[in-house]
Amino acid sequence: MTSEMQRTRLISVTVLLTCLALSLTSVVYPIYVIRPFRAQGARELAIALAVLRFRNAAVLISGAAALAALVIYWRTQPGKWRRIFATAGAAFVCVLAALARVNIYELMFHPDDRPSFAAVSRTKLDKDEKVIAIKIGGAARAYPIRNISYHHVINDVLDKVAIIATY
Amino acid sequence: MAGLRLTFHLAGINNQNFLMRDEQTGTYWQQISGKAVSGPLRGSQLPFVHSDELNFGTWQSEEPQGTVLQDAAEYRFGYARKDWDVRMQRAPTVIDFREHGLKARDLMLGIQAFGASRAFPFDQVIREKLVEDRVGAEPVLLVVGADGQSVRAFRDRVPGVLGAPEFYRVSGNQPGALLMDAATGSEWNFQGCAVSGKIKGICLEPLEVLKDYWFDWRNFNPSTTVYGRK
Repeated sequence: MTSEMQRTRLISVTVLLTCLALSLTSVVYPIYVIRPFRAQGARELAIALAVLRFRNAAVLISGAAALAALVIYWRTQPGKWRRIFATAGAAFVCVLAALARVNIYELMFHPDDRPSFAAVSRTKLDKDEKVIAIKIGGAARAYPIRNISYHHVINDVLDKVAIIATY
Repeated sequence: MAGLRLTFHLAGINNQNFLMRDEQTGTYWQQISGKAVSGPLRGSQLPFVHSDELNFGTWQSEEPQGTVLQDAAEYRFGYARKDWDVRMQRAPTVIDFREHGLKARDLMLGIQAFGASRAFPFDQVIREKLVEDRVGAEPVLLVVGADGQSVRAFRDRVPGVLGAPEFYRVSGNQPGALLMDAATGSEWNFQGCAVSGKIKGICLEPLEVLKDYWFDWRNFNPSTTVYGRK
């Protein structure tokens, strides 16, 4: 193997491993920091949120770079097992790029995407059920806590005003 | 906000207070404060809509024309029992503030107003039924409803009456009357409106009350004071 080929192989492997590390960090770090029943420090939370914000673009670029590095690596005619490992690495980067588009918390807590409402007279709740009550203009609305403590977020409109009810 | 109608999702957690993400800009918002903490709208503040945490029976009698969020059939199995906030008091917390003799999950009624934060132990307010106190320099009134569980807070200022009138609880002659003020002898209902006397029809300014666990309130209101504690 020529020294030029060796250099190309080294660069392509380095790019592949860098892409792998970047994509893995983008997916795992926010989950590690922003997980329930763990105290979040202000700085690490700010970093995790910044990662969440920019990671979609970062992992897409990373995936493309990993695939390009794989093609270049194959052209240096490595052995069978090295090809397998390189291909698996690039494939894993692509899987991470897909996973980065999923916010696990948005799956864990089921949103009520189509909230429905009924008149007081048609609602059966115990008198001591707790509700969050609002009034906008002349329109009054109540959100039972046993319901909203499950969904946590209700995107709503009352008296033509867009609101978010959260608990 | 910023000319956009935002749709929010629950997207994370910050010391057991939720973070929400809006679909349109990808900004992250802190649940307790409505403040944007990360993203393009960072620093923005969602305006609060006044809300009350009430027993359904009390709200129903005040708002017979109101509408109520209905259960989503596919999730009904997962909904909490009606004493959710009390049952959650057993759940662990990741932060704790051992101050004022309070435990992390003691239920508090928090008021953030007039440049100050003050927390009122929920059980104590329920026991006292009427609390006259101050938030910052402003006199305030916390009133427990006839159901013994619902609480509202008001600024203790009455137009045309000098200073902060003193209130006391009554079993009123007028339907719904809970309080009487010493200055005018008017009776007041749980909505903070005078229902008899010479200032009948006048309403007190309602204050936002957040029923919250002590650790959460204290974490986001580090300079809070506590009613009845030094």
